[in-house]
Amino acid sequence: MVLKNIRNWIIPGVFGLLLFLNPEMASAAEAAGVTTTAWWVWVLALFVFSFLLGIVAVLAGVGGGVLFVPIVSGFFPFHIDYVRGAGLLVALAGALSAGPPLLRKGMADLKLGLPMALVGSVSSIAGALVGLAMPAKNVEFLLGIVILGITAIMLKAGKSGYPEVKEPDALSRMLGISGCYFEEFGQHEVSWQVHRTPVATVLFLIIGFIGGMFGLGAGFANVPVFNLLMGVPLKVAVATSGLVLSINGSAAAWVYMFNGAVLPIIAVPAVGGMMLGSKIGAKLLPKVNTRTIRMIVITILAIAGFRSLLKGLGIW
Amino acid sequence: MVKEGKPDKLYADSVQLAYAKTLEFVSHAIIIVMALGFILYIFRLLPLTVPVETVAANWHLNATKLQMKIHHHSGWSCFEDVHTFMHGDAISYASVVFLSMATMVCLATATIAFFKEKNRIYLLITILQVLVLLVAASGKLTSGH
Repeated sequence: MVLKNIRNWIIPGVFGLLLFLNPEMASAAEAAGVTTTAWWVWVLALFVFSFLLGIVAVLAGVGGGVLFVPIVSGFFPFHIDYVRGAGLLVALAGALSAGPPLLRKGMADLKLGLPMALVGSVSSIAGALVGLAMPAKNVEFLLGIVILGITAIMLKAGKSGYPEVKEPDALSRMLGISGCYFEEFGQHEVSWQVHRTPVATVLFLIIGFIGGMFGLGAGFANVPVFNLLMGVPLKVAVATSGLVLSINGSAAAWVYMFNGAVLPIIAVPAVGGMMLGSKIGAKLLPKVNTRTIRMIVITILAIAGFRSLLKGLGIW
Repeated sequence: MVKEGKPDKLYADSVQLAYAKTLEFVSHAIIIVMALGFILYIFRLLPLTVPVETVAANWHLNATKLQMKIHHHSGWSCFEDVHTFMHGDAISYASVVFLSMATMVCLATATIAFFKEKNRIYLLITILQVLVLLVAASGKLTSGH
């Protein structure tokens, strides 16, 4: 029944809204300097779209920010500066609201997340400064490349529920990075430790830069680095990724705010819609075939990536 | 390593519990403040410094051009004085500022907890992290087209 509803209205809803939000209208508005549609229609459409995106993002196992920026910048009349500013806040708000229960259960781990967030937040500030100094066309072109790269990662990257780490590295031992949580699904306790921490730290520096530059939540990259490189169990990787991106997102968001790239008329409905949608998505999660939804989302992401790439080249 | 059965113990240390408690309070407060601020803004229950229509007519411009044209709130400008703050758009913007400050508040809690635990490494990491966020929030780092 729930799956039928997803198929019947949520996925068509996302596509329908994209069709309704005629990009020609946005382009015409940009050229003329005025929007032909009443402002509240765009704001309402953004709220509804973010709500649907919030549902789909949870079901597809991706962060809202990574879907939000390429799609909204492609199909709404807002300049990409405000979309990136709102995208960071969307990722930040989602991570904050999901954080408390995950921290209490020991799934989000401060000792794992804080060192990575420290390097990531410095580079996310640098990324935001570079991104805001670049011409919009260049940002759109590079965003297209990044989004297509993310699509490839989502298609190719594997995942490991409980990776085995035989020997923790010296840095992780010094930082005391290890933990234990209770796996509700299998009713057992899982202990974990990590390795390859120095390499992961360098990667978090790069991920932070990309996240800040394009206003993306970087869960798509944080999770594979924690899980596949460092050997963190998948659930701890996902939960701690939220903690890292809340800190990185906050650092970069200040740069956007001081550059006037945060408009409440865009940011608040996006954050509100995405948070509400995520809550509904979390409730639907056990009842739907997430593999199908994930493939649909990868397709939408690929289309948005191509559109961004072509927009950057001035073709579409 | 996987062990069967649910043991009777906590899986989070005191620092994580303190961080989680602060985060829960702050995130709930932010949702309420954001909703109220936005209602005040779009229904014009308070006067606006910049009309919504003016913002909408210029949201296709990049941030630098929009600031030059309409002087929308940025950084800490909504808190300049009481008169400025008592506007619907300023309050809505302030709610976004609160959202960006949430992590800093939680990290301050973690810093105190690490200090009490005498965990010097993580005390240093959290202090450095708060400093990074304070530098970002100071507005010293600006860019633009």
